[in-house]
Amino acid sequence: MRSRVDRPAGGEGPGALDGSVIEPLWFRLRVAGEWALRAVVLGLLVGCLVLVVRARTEERVEVGTSATLRESLVRWTTVSRPSRVHVVLDHPPSRAEQEWLVALSGAGTAVEWTGDSLVPTAMAVEPRADPAGGVDVSVAAPPGAVVALRDTLGELGAVEVPANGGAAGVRVHLAKPRPRLDAAVGPIVAQASPFDSLHLKRLLVIGAAGWETKFVVAALEERGWGVDAQISVSPGSTVRQGWLAAIDTTRYSAVLVLDTTAAPFADRIARYVRSGGGLVLWSPAAAVRGLAALSPGRPGQRIDDEGRAPRASAPRDDLALVPIVSLADDAVVLERKGDAVALAARRVGNGRVLQTGYVDSWRWRMAGEDDDAPEQHRAWLAGLVARVAYTGRTELRPPSTEPAPLASLIHRLGPAASGEPGDRPSANPAALFPWIFGALMAALLIEWASRRTRGVR
Amino acid sequence: MSQFVFATAEYASGDWESAPALPENLIDSVARYTSIDVAPTGVSVRLDSPELFDYPFVWLTGHLPVRFTEAERRNLKRYIERGGFMMVDDHNHDITGVFHQTVTEEIESLFGKLEQVPNDHEIYRCFFVFENGPPHTNHELNGWGDDLLHEHLHAIFVGPRKDPRRDRIGLLYSNKDYSSEWNFHASTKRTMQQDPTKFGVNLIVYALTR
Repeated sequence: MRSRVDRPAGGEGPGALDGSVIEPLWFRLRVAGEWALRAVVLGLLVGCLVLVVRARTEERVEVGTSATLRESLVRWTTVSRPSRVHVVLDHPPSRAEQEWLVALSGAGTAVEWTGDSLVPTAMAVEPRADPAGGVDVSVAAPPGAVVALRDTLGELGAVEVPANGGAAGVRVHLAKPRPRLDAAVGPIVAQASPFDSLHLKRLLVIGAAGWETKFVVAALEERGWGVDAQISVSPGSTVRQGWLAAIDTTRYSAVLVLDTTAAPFADRIARYVRSGGGLVLWSPAAAVRGLAALSPGRPGQRIDDEGRAPRASAPRDDLALVPIVSLADDAVVLERKGDAVALAARRVGNGRVLQTGYVDSWRWRMAGEDDDAPEQHRAWLAGLVARVAYTGRTELRPPSTEPAPLASLIHRLGPAASGEPGDRPSANPAALFPWIFGALMAALLIEWASRRTRGVR
Repeated sequence: MSQFVFATAEYASGDWESAPALPENLIDSVARYTSIDVAPTGVSVRLDSPELFDYPFVWLTGHLPVRFTEAERRNLKRYIERGGFMMVDDHNHDITGVFHQTVTEEIESLFGKLEQVPNDHEIYRCFFVFENGPPHTNHELNGWGDDLLHEHLHAIFVGPRKDPRRDRIGLLYSNKDYSSEWNFHASTKRTMQQDPTKFGVNLIVYALTR
């Protein structure tokens, strides 16, 4: 076989014969190899061009996870620009990461996410209308979920949402909250802070001279409330405590009515409640005509206590009860004793009314088995008042918190994608370029070396 | 709501039952002058029993030396701290007598020193008005006892303020011998120009409202 080849300068080539050159097979193969290398180099260059063009024109999906989200965001922003990103989350991204994803979306990259383990959770912290302070923490979570509460000092405890209690969360009272509270439900951590300051006014207690009246006034005063009292001793004689002023929301946070001696005040109390005031009614007082229209229910037949000292485990079970019957349509039952309704509440106008069927709660304080019975009785009464009390509020500047992480995520990024990411991540062209460059340089070097060693420039 | 039940304290030493007619006279007065729902008969309750706590007003009197048992001391302290009201009356009206000396020693060992009740305290005005403080009794100058008119009552005040005018009286102590003055036969009241038990009504109204 003959072929015309480059000759080495200044010398005869192998197999020269009468001016014509016949190259041996290995020589021809070497030349062919050089051509092949040139083709490879050309191919690689074309391949790079294609990759770049495809990266520009085709939809490219990239998948990130919670663990690698920060690095992925950096890459998606500064190195590659995928047309669509899918983030598989096992906990909500930080607020900065969420904002970053929103920005990425605003720049033209479709952002979608999935997170099967993310539990819908939200929390609210409300200051309690109680001189002893404290907050009521409400956490919305699915039935059966365990809510772990903690503050800046550490764990506070865990509460399980009743699986079939009809509630969609839990409510707990914290006596001394820190400025920020966390509620962790699985991987979701909701954060909230109390940010309202309450202005508590005085309480007005109206009742006949008796142990319940005495101990209600005493307990609320010991709790820190300023209490005015109107205590009827005889038809012409009343023991008054404090300066009994007009019954309105500028003076009283709540009115507590223990019995029918409040009848002369019924119209004023009704106006007070409709204008936003709070009312706690002992069941016998609900028989007063003017107050019956406000009460969550009617007083039933008294169920006497069994004379047993209120037990530490369930003190109210050992108290006498005038059950609340014939509940109003909008009344909410707050507590039952057996089948009987013991506590119920309703809204009337702008105010709230709570009715208690426990008529001799003083026995809890005096005769309760527990050494802390007086304190428990005080706290219980204060809790009744706090549910209805009218308070002025000053909104404080709230610290930055995330009370509903999943809701915020959906608000920012839209709902979760319905399925798994459709495509696995395509090869990142940027990652291929060093390999292509290396292969290209190696091919050129070999081709150049081959040519030079056979004397061709 | 539960009724007011007049309770007399039984204690292990002494003669706690020395004024048996007093309860019915006070019950009669409370029913007569007020609309307080009062039980028609009184009870006696052991000072060392858990039933003591069902009666936030108790009357304690006697002539003889008083030595409380440990259980009585424990119960009494808890009773006063939880809001109970105890009236202790010296049936001897004698500040050198054995009842006075022993019972005040017991009280002060539990609660600290008895303090004088100001004569304009609300206990003298919460229902009937007694301008000069505690009404005197016919027995104070009867030749027995110390033969003194006792101008003041004394008390253990309970509350955070340490102020006799603002804190609640938990235990009221008297040398005036109301136990004799009010321990008359029920039918006698009809013949009296002045009802001597009116101050007893004040004690009960105060206990029920403060």
